[in-house]
Amino acid sequence: MNDIDKKISELYDGELDQNEIDTLLEIIYVDQKLQKKLSMYSLAGIASSYKNNQVVSIKSNDKSNKSLFSNIWLSNGLTAAASVLLTLTIVNNADFSRMDISSSSTNQISSAINSKEAKEVINKSEESLADYIMKVINDPNFMNSKESIDLRNVGFLSESITGSTYSRGKENFKLRIEKNNFGLNKIRYWKHGNKMIYLVPLSDGRAVTIYGNVTLSTAISIAKSIT
Amino acid sequence: MKTNSNDNDSVLIERVKNGDKGAFNFLVNKYYPRVYASLFSYTKSKEDSEDLAQQTFLKVWQQIESFRGDSAFFTWIYRIAINLAKNHFVSSASKKQKVNTSIEHAEIEISSYENIEQILMHDQSMIQIKEFINNMPESLKTAFTLRESEGKSYEEISLITDTPIGTVRSRIFRARESIIDYMQKEIIENE
Repeated sequence: MNDIDKKISELYDGELDQNEIDTLLEIIYVDQKLQKKLSMYSLAGIASSYKNNQVVSIKSNDKSNKSLFSNIWLSNGLTAAASVLLTLTIVNNADFSRMDISSSSTNQISSAINSKEAKEVINKSEESLADYIMKVINDPNFMNSKESIDLRNVGFLSESITGSTYSRGKENFKLRIEKNNFGLNKIRYWKHGNKMIYLVPLSDGRAVTIYGNVTLSTAISIAKSIT
Repeated sequence: MKTNSNDNDSVLIERVKNGDKGAFNFLVNKYYPRVYASLFSYTKSKEDSEDLAQQTFLKVWQQIESFRGDSAFFTWIYRIAINLAKNHFVSSASKKQKVNTSIEHAEIEISSYENIEQILMHDQSMIQIKEFINNMPESLKTAFTLRESEGKSYEEISLITDTPIGTVRSRIFRARESIIDYMQKEIIENE
């Protein structure tokens, strides 16, 4: 085995002693084959956590609405925002009818919801959500929280030293808590490969992200146990 | 030696802040595929992704002083890349902007690798590589996956697998070499 290659692998992982770095960087800087090898290491890492690149946003239990919301994430951010706008309109109309608000005020509010300004606000928040979900999927370190949370009351044990991975039998997930809740007032969830991403707003204004192979009801139990 | 898996690049980043082009070159080669993959999933365009990836690293070079280490380095790069991608679509003028001039001006070289980009664009190639990884000997697969998917440090992997740290180093290296060998023989040469 080539010693330089092995050192590159160690430097790639940030595991090389300071005094060995200088020489190695100089060697790599002038050797395009070694530079390519480095990128191939990166490619191997991407492939190891590759999940056929499909993120599906799941928004409704209503089968008739399902087609509106499938396969929107990553494939087209603007389409995603537009679909969400539709969702919000549908949800709000339903709420108005439950509250027995007159049709004229409903129309006024609907106009406000569909105004250019409202659309811009919604689009911006959806863009930030899309960014966030892409980070969850694409950055392997993003979900590695240093904060360990005791989830034994819902049957999950922390299985890693960093405390970010929890498991219960075959179920396992990573968890991350955000200081803000992205303006959400209800749980949002996405399917990515064989895993789910749940973004659950907490009552104290924070939000918890749960990424793994757990069901919606389990994700809700986990979120409740945090608050 | 690093024990915290979140600051893998801190030594190199400090060097880049001091103008070390070798360290920057290392980080570009390390992160180019991941940036390209993120941009491609966003733009669905080979040319746009390549241009935007180059612009991203140009900005990284120019703005490295502002990276304070509050987030993982890749998260910071990723944010730059996605912001560039958004601006790219918003402004039709930026679509026509050539990045080569700026890069020459910055006196840094950012290579792109056609083969790597090709693999990243094809689901089937990525699935093939993942299958190869899944079929590697258990000891190699475990060490490699803990490092790459879980972001564990060598010391953490050593504790988890109850293996000497030197063995962990070797296993991760051997895993990488066998994956690269597979990619060269089964995917790149067959294209």
